[in-house]
Amino acid sequence: MLWIQWDRATRGPVQQGCVVLLAALALACAMPSLAGSVTPTSIKYPIVPDGTHAGKDVEQPIEFPHDIHTAVNKINCLYCHNYARRSKVAGIPPTSKCMGCHSVIATDKPRIKQLTEYWEKKQPVPWKKVHDLPEFVHFPHEKHLKKFLFDNEELVQNLSVDTVAPVCAACHGDLRTMTVAKKVKPLNMGWCVSCHKANGGPGDCWTCHK
Amino acid sequence: MSGNEIKYFRPALGSGSPTQAAPLPSIKRRDFLKIMGWGTVGVTLAGCDLPTTVTLEEGKETVVSYLSPEEYVIPGIGVWYASACLQCQAGCGIHGRVREGRALKLEGNPDSPVNRGKLCQMGQSGVQTHYNPDRLSKPQLRKDGKLVDISWDEAWKVLEEKVGAAADKSAGARVAWFTGTVSGHQAVLIGEHLDALGSKRHFVHEAINNAVGRAVNQDVLGEAMPRLAIDKAKLVLSFGADFLGTWVSPVHFATEYAKFRSGARGVLVVAEPKMSLTGANADLWLAVRPGTEGELALGIAHALMKSGVSVPEAARAAVTAYEPAKAAEITGISVQRIEQVAALLKQHSPSLVLAGATVEGQEQGYQAASAVMLLNVMLGNVGKTIVSRGEFPFPQLKPRTGNTRDLVAFAAAAKDKALDVAFFYGANPVYTAPASLGLVEALQHIPFKVVLTQFPDETAAQADLVLPVASSLEDWGTHVADYQPEQGVITFQQPLMEGLYPGTPGVGDALLKLLKMREAQKYGAFNDYFSYLQNAVASLPEQYKAGGLTNKQLWEQTLQKGLLTVDSAPGSLKTNVSAITLGEVKTDAEYPLRLIPSPRLGLWDGRHANIPWLQEAPDQISKVVWDSWAELHPSTAARLGVQEGDVVEIASAHGAIKVKVYVFKGVHPDAIAVPLGQGHEDYGRYAKGLGVNPLKILSPAVDAKTGELALYSTRVKATRTGVHEELVKEGRDNTSQRGRKLVATITAEQFRRTEGV
Repeated sequence: MLWIQWDRATRGPVQQGCVVLLAALALACAMPSLAGSVTPTSIKYPIVPDGTHAGKDVEQPIEFPHDIHTAVNKINCLYCHNYARRSKVAGIPPTSKCMGCHSVIATDKPRIKQLTEYWEKKQPVPWKKVHDLPEFVHFPHEKHLKKFLFDNEELVQNLSVDTVAPVCAACHGDLRTMTVAKKVKPLNMGWCVSCHKANGGPGDCWTCHK
Repeated sequence: MSGNEIKYFRPALGSGSPTQAAPLPSIKRRDFLKIMGWGTVGVTLAGCDLPTTVTLEEGKETVVSYLSPEEYVIPGIGVWYASACLQCQAGCGIHGRVREGRALKLEGNPDSPVNRGKLCQMGQSGVQTHYNPDRLSKPQLRKDGKLVDISWDEAWKVLEEKVGAAADKSAGARVAWFTGTVSGHQAVLIGEHLDALGSKRHFVHEAINNAVGRAVNQDVLGEAMPRLAIDKAKLVLSFGADFLGTWVSPVHFATEYAKFRSGARGVLVVAEPKMSLTGANADLWLAVRPGTEGELALGIAHALMKSGVSVPEAARAAVTAYEPAKAAEITGISVQRIEQVAALLKQHSPSLVLAGATVEGQEQGYQAASAVMLLNVMLGNVGKTIVSRGEFPFPQLKPRTGNTRDLVAFAAAAKDKALDVAFFYGANPVYTAPASLGLVEALQHIPFKVVLTQFPDETAAQADLVLPVASSLEDWGTHVADYQPEQGVITFQQPLMEGLYPGTPGVGDALLKLLKMREAQKYGAFNDYFSYLQNAVASLPEQYKAGGLTNKQLWEQTLQKGLLTVDSAPGSLKTNVSAITLGEVKTDAEYPLRLIPSPRLGLWDGRHANIPWLQEAPDQISKVVWDSWAELHPSTAARLGVQEGDVVEIASAHGAIKVKVYVFKGVHPDAIAVPLGQGHEDYGRYAKGLGVNPLKILSPAVDAKTGELALYSTRVKATRTGVHEELVKEGRDNTSQRGRKLVATITAEQFRRTEGV
């Protein structure tokens, strides 16, 4: 049980010791430079069950192009969604992270101007959630990434957006081919169970329903 | 199934029938959540067509990221803080899980000697009090007879005029505080505020209390609240003391009870007119005629005396008068049973005999409770299972315990036009006062009524100024339980999250503000209640800083643990038995039944009726949800010609209520039990308009010795109305989901396409 001190200035909790994100950030930053363009065919990926979902086109406040970031600029998924390896949620990157690059890159583009406007108004972008699960379903990103990514030695040896993306694609589809995300997998219980069976995941009820 | 789309599911994809297309109004929820929203990931701002809890939706919820992340925050990972539970007055410690700035889950604090890591359903529901959509966010002032929203600046200005420096001393003496049980520095500040005004009028009211028992303890044992070692007893005989449910410190006693039942299994005997949760766990349950528990205790004492147990001289006359045959006639418990209980008590030593609300809430409640205490004295339990707790080392922090005597006194003072200003906090007397006290009319004689509350309750509806206060999960505080277990503690309350409604002060902050209006010199140094508490901890005696702790370290360590253990040297208890006189048990031909306004672990005295979880949680005995009911013995029901679900009218000399019948053997044929907590005329969407409030029709009779309201003495008659309604209980074969989509459905075609099989 971790205890945190109350901070008078922010009327919010402040941790005594601090969790260091720097190491993780450094690793994530290094990822794009490690990128090889070829995905070794011997890497084992999760066996993904059949099943598709005809997802809606979700209108986002800013039409975020996943393809430009990943397919063109080869930025690793986990660079932006860096909570995925530590937490049940992958997290939407904080606006400060977007601005880390976009205070200098592509500042003349309309979408970046839109982003900058949010940043200057100190408002987070109200993104729409595309991949939704019922509240009684516990899906931990970190457990899945541990099994399929970080315990996958060959993949770790060849970390790049092109080796990582197929892991994420099991549930999210290949974002290298999308602009804004679209739901293409059913993400319902039968589909999850099929995947758990195919990949040796746990089969008891309370692993997911707790 | 012919492949038709099940129309209930996923309306966004539906074929457009009018029933599907009409979206439910969702604005309120969205606005509510927006107010909550401050820089978090995973916040659901649901602009939803239907509840989002079950369906998988795309593009419906909003996920808001941090603008800049706090370095220690990882979305999805919670941090636990220690704080205090304020859902009843037992003083449990809690740990609250906070994620992305939100308090999400409460559990018991394992370090707290009160609840030792456990937390009851009322404590667990603290989050629903905190996030309740009916919480007040703006102060309200009565203008032209109506409460209207005003600004905080205006609210403080009005208070300055009424009770500020300008108000003179003689006017100050006509100011009163009316509160629930308060302790710690909150109680200190209320006292200071009254002192600053030159008033002594602090009325403390709880509908569920043990004021009579405390008085008996004080007189017989010399300590109002000694330690009750249930775990050390080999037999517990409870006269209506529902220590597993609603009596004194239920979570603490439940863990003691577990020890009592493990190993050499202790015997539990319960005598009460209506089966409580504790009664339902008894080895021997005795349906005693309501209001005759004292006679039963004396009958058992007589049987003990005959078997050679000595009786204190002062009580000898009373014990001699109630030979088992006479006691049996009065109480309806057979001579054999009385002798059996006496024999069990003799066999199992030490034992522990407890008196609860049904004993104390009588016109001779003090005498009856004394008769029960007499058994402890005779059996030599005092000093073995009833142990001295010693004096709490900080008397100013001790709880001002609630009772009903103050409610009566307050109504009288108001009626006499003795009060100009009344502050209300932590009590809802307009709901809990019997109508026969005439409190609502009396309140009209108090020109200015200030209500500090989180909710639009019945008392707030009578207020001239309503001040919303922070929830217990947003506030600072120190709390001292009346019942202190083996280790004395001060429980510390710290905010688990930012206040949901900006400007809403903590209770301590509001008190300091009021105090500064009169004593700017004395309290000016404290910016807020936080600094006041920090200062209080820093001023603790040196022994609390052992090992060279700095004030800052002591403060942080205390907050981390959520409590401060204090030393109180136990003394020894006395056994001052005085004469016991029980009057004749009166009968009333017109009103043959006794009304038992039975408390429940859940809605409690009605304060939790606005918590959906607790409304939905079935009553421990009847399994009824979201409603009131009247428990009737099958023989009484047969006499009245009613069955379960039939509506009866229960009338006393002071009013009538109509309520559905629940037929149950665990209630004496002369009793009719209606649970407390429902029948709210106000108090938000979840509470309003459900069931009935049995307190309303109670007689104003009081216990002769203590002046406490005799809540269990009201005589009533029941008549059938001919109306029948379904009594909604858990465990029925009801498969309707009532539109809540508890189980989602899809078509066979969709299933084949999407399941990946």
